[in-house]
Amino acid sequence: MTATSLPPGSTPRVRIRAGRLVLYTALVVVTGLFVGPFGWLVLSGLKTPAELAASPGHWLPAQVQWHNFADAFNLIDFLGYARNSLIIATLYATLVTLSSAWVGFGFARLEAPGKKTLFGILIGSMMLPQMITLLPTYLIFAQLGMVDTYWPWVLWGLAAAPYLVFLFRQFFAGLPRELEEAAIVDGCGYGTIFWRIFLPQSWPVLSASFVIAFTWSWGDYIAPQLLLSTDRSTLAVAVMSTYVTSAGTPVANLQAAGSVMYVVPILLIFLVAQRGFIAGTSTSGLK
Amino acid sequence: MTVDQISVTGRPGAPDDIARRAPADRPRISMTGRRHRAFYLFTAPWITGFLLLTVVPMAYALWLSFTTYDGISPHWRYVGLGNYAELFSDPQTWNSLGRTGLFAIISVPLSIIAGLGLAVLVNRPIRARGLFRTLLYLPAVVPPVGAGLTFKALFDQNSGAANGVLTLFGFDALGWLADPYARYVLLMSVLWAAGNVMIISLAGLQDVPRELHEAARIDGAGAWRTFRSITVPLLSPVLLFQTVTGVIASVQTIMPLLLTPDGTTAGVTALPQSNYLYMMHVFSQYFALGRYGYASALLWVLFVLILIATGLIFRFTSGVVFYNVDPEAKK
Repeated sequence: MTATSLPPGSTPRVRIRAGRLVLYTALVVVTGLFVGPFGWLVLSGLKTPAELAASPGHWLPAQVQWHNFADAFNLIDFLGYARNSLIIATLYATLVTLSSAWVGFGFARLEAPGKKTLFGILIGSMMLPQMITLLPTYLIFAQLGMVDTYWPWVLWGLAAAPYLVFLFRQFFAGLPRELEEAAIVDGCGYGTIFWRIFLPQSWPVLSASFVIAFTWSWGDYIAPQLLLSTDRSTLAVAVMSTYVTSAGTPVANLQAAGSVMYVVPILLIFLVAQRGFIAGTSTSGLK
Repeated sequence: MTVDQISVTGRPGAPDDIARRAPADRPRISMTGRRHRAFYLFTAPWITGFLLLTVVPMAYALWLSFTTYDGISPHWRYVGLGNYAELFSDPQTWNSLGRTGLFAIISVPLSIIAGLGLAVLVNRPIRARGLFRTLLYLPAVVPPVGAGLTFKALFDQNSGAANGVLTLFGFDALGWLADPYARYVLLMSVLWAAGNVMIISLAGLQDVPRELHEAARIDGAGAWRTFRSITVPLLSPVLLFQTVTGVIASVQTIMPLLLTPDGTTAGVTALPQSNYLYMMHVFSQYFALGRYGYASALLWVLFVLILIATGLIFRFTSGVVFYNVDPEAKK
């Protein structure tokens, strides 16, 4: 039913009400479609293995199996994997945020021959699928003995990420020129200007960059699967591959519970840092 | 090491050469020279990283693509263009390439339309707008592994909700994760993240000047006409950005792999044919068969194709998207 299908002569007020009803119905249905899949994962994590294997399936668990979450936590070394994920993500996000801010300052505030070309390469390298470079990079890391260490993430962190460089560049370019002019007259070097004047101004971007990089790393699957042995690997890899019985059959309900516990921290971080995260995403997309 | 220390040593050929030649206990450095050196110092981490972690691996892959290297056998040899000849005559290359193209052509516009629709929906004055936006965006934050397991649970042949709904309405349950339906699950898993497009379009929608909408209303334009003639053209840079990132995402997606029963790189052998995208072809050569040389040739072909594609996109849209390279020059 749409507003236009109402009988002629109905007052505008009724029409507006009907329009609102349609709008809210559409909103609720669409939101349900988007939230539903994750809700189903949570429900699957609360069922018994028999309920998950039955055909036709069960909509709801006969008895809610809360202990699945505890079991999923204990069947594998959940805490150990979570710690590995946390170390890698924090290490990478900290380094890449600082290095990207540093590089972004260069592109925003300094001039030199070749700057336009370099900036073009920077933008262009965003278009290069990382999967293409990851596979040969993995072979090189393997030959350098860096497999099963966290060194690759240190190197990736130090190398700055084009996307975040762009984010910082946009922010720094928008700050007034007077900021550094006084400092230059006072004889400060650009390193000091960056560290003392620009960085303290950029907390919103710094935190947005950290959150974005942290979620990248937490969500990354292929790199840790290639580079780390099972013990040192991340939660993403563990959730996907270690919820199996000794016979090798997957334990679907515990895997569902485990993956809920893997995803929820990221959702929480997003909810807390929402504003900066979205500002970061849309700045890079727009300007 | 500070910038000051670096910048006192002059660079030959730089405009500050004259200042250096003057015998003085305190070298006077031109501002320009100092800025030049500082620029290179500031961009050095990225330049070094780009060389070591992108250029070198790509060059290494190029070298490997001319060999039979498999990582184990010491008897690998140089085969020239042999790998390239093989990949061009392998029907799997063409099939997977075509499938990837089709996947991009279908999934990218659909995500953009869905995201734009969501943006228009939640940009209206509604109650609990923030809540709706957050809930619609959340799936885009779910990491790939979480999304893969979510869709495996949703489309499980026995316990999945999708088959639950089908049987509720008297239809037969489907093997969603196998041929030929797996492609639809893949598509839906991409659309699930349409909140990304929504958020970016929302920011763009809010930049559309209100006066334009009012002028259109006074001229008697309806909602659809306003959307088509004002909103979409003004959002075009955003839409272009979404198209480019969407195509790149669909070229490198690992979702087909995550939707297999195994889900690890060993799972490439269990891929349904309909989800056997180009990157999965690379993976199966790389991980299942260990043919690093051949897989490197496949990667290089993809790299060249992407170079051509982005080159074309930039040529066609050079007037639409404007990257302000030199913000200070404008002031």
